[in-house]
Amino acid sequence: MIDSRLTDLPIDPTDELSRFMAKLADEGAVVSFAGIARPRTRDGVDVEKMFLDHHPRLTQRSIDDIVQAASRRFAVSAITAVHRFGAVSPGETIVFVAAASLHRRAAFEAADYVMDRLKTDAIFWKREDSVDGSRWIEPTDADRAERARWSE
Amino acid sequence: MDILFFGKLGDRIGREVSIEPPPAGCTVRELRQLLASLYPDSAEELTSPSLKACVDDALVADDFRVGAGRTVEFFPPLSGG
Repeated sequence: MIDSRLTDLPIDPTDELSRFMAKLADEGAVVSFAGIARPRTRDGVDVEKMFLDHHPRLTQRSIDDIVQAASRRFAVSAITAVHRFGAVSPGETIVFVAAASLHRRAAFEAADYVMDRLKTDAIFWKREDSVDGSRWIEPTDADRAERARWSE
Repeated sequence: MDILFFGKLGDRIGREVSIEPPPAGCTVRELRQLLASLYPDSAEELTSPSLKACVDDALVADDFRVGAGRTVEFFPPLSGG
């Protein structure tokens, strides 16, 4: 069970995790991750909202490619990734990822891999709107270094 | 020729603009120069290698040729998650 979904509606990570776990059978490990919109910018200014611009076809395709690659790379039986687009308020979940496997290591690694690649390879453009104005976010050197861990 | 901008350039220039390409078409490199002259405030981004060009849902290099009737999309650096 490998799937990914884009949505402009709120993501409830506990609902997503319950739905994911309901489909499992013999797995001994589930790892889940929720990425939450932060309430403050790096400079400590209050964020009013985030806006995630996306492409009508290539964004979904890019997420599909990432979860498929994770399923080939790690011994996982199920992976799901759900990603918001459009306006996201602070405290809301932007992204939810879950992976399941027979033993824990593969599920940890698959979730970690999917998140690192979503940060740098998924087709999104993220804007932070704060009281100080709007700023388009670009991948940081740290994001690129995290992504590079999986390149070998 | 339709041009689509995403992210920062989509905000600044607009999601979609139509331009008249040279009659014989042009390369993506020449298109970037043409757009830079039309939108001088964004000239630096439009000619930067970090801005990727995309035709028919595939990234294309600067020597790729495009002509009237084509749609070219421009992607600034990505930021998901």
